[in-house]
Amino acid sequence: MVGGRSVSRELVLAGVLLALIVVMAIASSLFLTTGNLLNTSRFYVEPGLIALGMTLVIVTGGIDLSVGASLALVSVVLGFAFGSGVPLWLAILLALATGLLCGAFNGLFVTLLDLNPLVVTLGTFALFRGLAFVISDAGAVSAFPSWFEVFGQYYVGPVPLQLFVFIAAALGIGLLLARGRFGRYVRAIGYNPRAARYSGVPVARTTIAVYTLTGLLVAVAAIIYTSRVSSARADSGLGLELDVIAAVVLGGASIRGGAGTILGTVLGVLIIAVLRNGLFMAGVPTTWQLIVLGVVLIAAVFVNEFFREAEA
Amino acid sequence: MRRAAAIAGLALLAAALAGCHVGAGAPTYSAEDGKTKICMMPKLVGIPYFNATERGAKDAARELKVELDYNGPTDAAAVRQVEFIQQWVQLRCDAITVAGNDPDALAPALKEARRAGIKTGSWDADVAKDARSYFVNQATFKAIGEAMMDIMAAETDRKGKFLIVTGSLTAPNQNEWIAAMRKRAKERYPKMRIASVQPGEENLQKGIDVTKSYLSANPDTAGVFGITTVALPGVAEAVRQLGLTGKVKVTGLTDPILVKPYLEEGVVQKAVLWNPEDLGYLAVHVAKRMLDGTMPSSGSFEAGRLGRVKMTAKDEVLLGPPLVFSEKDVDKYDF
Repeated sequence: MVGGRSVSRELVLAGVLLALIVVMAIASSLFLTTGNLLNTSRFYVEPGLIALGMTLVIVTGGIDLSVGASLALVSVVLGFAFGSGVPLWLAILLALATGLLCGAFNGLFVTLLDLNPLVVTLGTFALFRGLAFVISDAGAVSAFPSWFEVFGQYYVGPVPLQLFVFIAAALGIGLLLARGRFGRYVRAIGYNPRAARYSGVPVARTTIAVYTLTGLLVAVAAIIYTSRVSSARADSGLGLELDVIAAVVLGGASIRGGAGTILGTVLGVLIIAVLRNGLFMAGVPTTWQLIVLGVVLIAAVFVNEFFREAEA
Repeated sequence: MRRAAAIAGLALLAAALAGCHVGAGAPTYSAEDGKTKICMMPKLVGIPYFNATERGAKDAARELKVELDYNGPTDAAAVRQVEFIQQWVQLRCDAITVAGNDPDALAPALKEARRAGIKTGSWDADVAKDARSYFVNQATFKAIGEAMMDIMAAETDRKGKFLIVTGSLTAPNQNEWIAAMRKRAKERYPKMRIASVQPGEENLQKGIDVTKSYLSANPDTAGVFGITTVALPGVAEAVRQLGLTGKVKVTGLTDPILVKPYLEEGVVQKAVLWNPEDLGYLAVHVAKRMLDGTMPSSGSFEAGRLGRVKMTAKDEVLLGPPLVFSEKDVDKYDF
């Protein structure tokens, strides 16, 4: 069974994470401080939340390249609805609805028209970002009331509030994928969509649900993000899909579908967070961070393939 | 198995590539305890302009014996800058100075840094005034606009109709330059008239096309200004392709290396910019003076190899007059 193997994979990931933490702590004496770690955790709650949805998408054998763009669109809808006089609570609801719609749109095109998710979400990657630019007209909304700060700038003691949102979402979606019937459907679709259909799995409905859930997580991430940076702009979330997909693949989800765990993804998010923050704290220029990230991602794919060969 | 082998090969290749780049000298700044640490952020890293500002900044850091952390986002995104500022607070920088991608979005993070006892400044592109102590301005809009107009006037006998190719019609700094150019023409060169302003949309081909079609429709045009780093090479290329070299005068604002071939062919005689190395150099000097508490509120102060530098407001420093370069000295500039 996959269970035993995936535990060893996650042990490897945990080992890698620990090793990275040690390396970064040596590289910068200020890296391993609760202040830095808790402060930095705020930057990775958003990609982390989205990575949870992306795990489900990738386990179905799909992909969603549009997450960074839809984060920008949701943020702009939220900001500019509020900026044009809509009450903030209503703007937040509109934002959630926008995220759901973006996800559902992806899901519908992938299933009902039976299009390749890579192509569909490459299209919506451009479409959503374009819409965000049209709505914002290259401007930004920054003047939010102070209670809006609760989503992205509030601390419970020293711990940022959004960290609890992430932990709750990870537990919920982790259970959904590992224990429930829904999770079984998701894996079955990714493993072999035709076989899944013949054995009575509601393939279309499940796939649409997975993309829509990702859209909802994007919306939640976008609200936290907009509050954290107190600014709604169309260039938000540029390149976000890279960190998100990297975390999921690093976490052991198979890009061909059928396999992947939330625990793995969470470890993947943590590894990327430690890499990015640690390299920054050590004064390594961001261009080099991109190179390191690329190498890590390719290495992860290699290691994953190695694990899968061992499983087969 | 074959697939795994292929992937392994790719991974090795990528690692090897990364390895040899690192070997070629990744810039790292050694942390020495007790040394003053200045953290400086460009709008983005990896373009010639901000590589030049980095060189100047490192020169200043060496002279002043301070530690410099020069880092920024790989795309011109305000939000990444916010995150970097927040991490710099954790890193206990003594001063942070930024070239802002958005004046307002950066303000809360800079104020947070201030509350942590860090001095804040801005350079190249200002942020909200209440989030920084000093802004290092590379050149005033007025000086840039006037310099471009004066060059054109000298080349066209102070008369004729002119086209301006700009970036976009809404870009605030370009519109300020155009306003300064019009004002200069009105005051000094009454026979010079700016007949049209066309957007080149920061796209080389678009700049060429716009210039070509305008010059075909308006053959009496005496000269064309290209007032962004991308617009000027486009304008020059169009004039060259139309065989109008020397007949239609071309000037504007751009990086020396981008316009060098046109200077050599005589399409462009002179162009304008400021020196980004000096800008980076001055930004570090100002940061150091902020920390020492030796910034004056008016007059001028000494800034190393730049000599005396002027305050244009109580919280604003001016690098100096714009840099005018021609074929003779273009090789001096590596940006």
